[in-house]
Amino acid sequence: MPVPILKQGSFLIVSVQAALSDRDLVDLKNELAEKVGQYRSKGVVIDVSLLDVMDSFATRMLRGIAQTTKLRGANTVIVGIQPDVAFAMVQLGLALEGVDTALDLDEGLELLNLRMSKGEIRDV
Amino acid sequence: MPSLQESTRLQFTESEIERRRRFVNLGAEDLERIASVKDLIVKHANTFSAAFFDYLAKIEEARPLFGNVAILEQARTAKHEHLLAMVSGRYDRAYVEQRLKLAMLYGRVGLDSRVFLGAFHNLLQTIGMTIMRESGSDGAQKFFSLEKVGFFDLGIIVDVLIDERERVIGQQQIAIRELSTPALQIRDRLLILPIIGVLDSQRAKQLTDNLLHAIRANRAKVVVMDITGVAAVDSKVANHLIQTVAAAKLMGAAVIVTGLSAEVAQSLVALGVDLSKLNTVGDLQGGLEEADRLLGYVVQRT
Repeated sequence: MPVPILKQGSFLIVSVQAALSDRDLVDLKNELAEKVGQYRSKGVVIDVSLLDVMDSFATRMLRGIAQTTKLRGANTVIVGIQPDVAFAMVQLGLALEGVDTALDLDEGLELLNLRMSKGEIRDV
Repeated sequence: MPSLQESTRLQFTESEIERRRRFVNLGAEDLERIASVKDLIVKHANTFSAAFFDYLAKIEEARPLFGNVAILEQARTAKHEHLLAMVSGRYDRAYVEQRLKLAMLYGRVGLDSRVFLGAFHNLLQTIGMTIMRESGSDGAQKFFSLEKVGFFDLGIIVDVLIDERERVIGQQQIAIRELSTPALQIRDRLLILPIIGVLDSQRAKQLTDNLLHAIRANRAKVVVMDITGVAAVDSKVANHLIQTVAAAKLMGAAVIVTGLSAEVAQSLVALGVDLSKLNTVGDLQGGLEEADRLLGYVVQRT
């Protein structure tokens, strides 16, 4: 199932709707890498609040997305990780090192705005 | 005060009852011998029952039983039934259930198991003396057979008393656990989590769980975790703290750990725990100041 990517100002918002297959994740990664350049986005928010499982592959893909978009000039924030998912990830040693995380979409956008106002992301 | 319950959690299956009969070595010969003293016991049942309660009445620790007239009456009736059932020759599920009911009565009034054992021993002795006096030469044999039933009963009653005690302890543990890990919001987006007592892995897991849900519910951005009240931190507990901090970070909240005592700090260093992921501040006050700074609050005296 393809994941919708919404453009909101200079940010892209990805709302993951259901459990993603590995294929979907790879597609999402490619598509985001493409769109960040296409829309000249400065930030990406990925909302995973509907996910109740996060395995090692998904974690690696999310980290990959963050690093790829960074190279293309956009910061990625993962938002909405559920309490149980967070705890399970930590227990399995799946840390999202070097990736920003926030409570929900609101917080994620605020974090990106903050980064932008501090000049950590260049505004156009 | 834990609630008193009417019936026990214990359930005995047919095979379990069979197993228990085997434990006391209750065989067909025993049943025959018991049948031969049946009339004798039935005749004296009132005397035996009275002797049992008279004996208990003399013991200070058995007071709780005599303080509750309703329960005492029930216990007297049940004891009488018990004596009749003991010689009935049928030690099946219905018999066991009767025993459980009586044992629950004792459990409910908090009768000390040692006091009960004393009184039960006295009861068996009284019965034994009567049998040997009145039932001829092989009285001893007959009594030993009946004694097996007595110990069969004893096994059930002791199980109930122990189970009742364990249930109370379990309830208290749950109560302590619920009390002990509150996550308190003290400013918008700021939680404090005072931890007091011993952190075992079950409690640590529950604490993490609590905290993560509190972060979500209160939309917290910063959490100050105060471990002043934790006497000892070993590598396991330290690991739990690190995991909690990492999980909170995944939810977008920063955790500040405060109140590491000199001993705790030294033991952590000695253990070689990697604390680079922990943001630690000396005391709770310092932690709150740091949290205010992170959240952009300025506290000012008016």
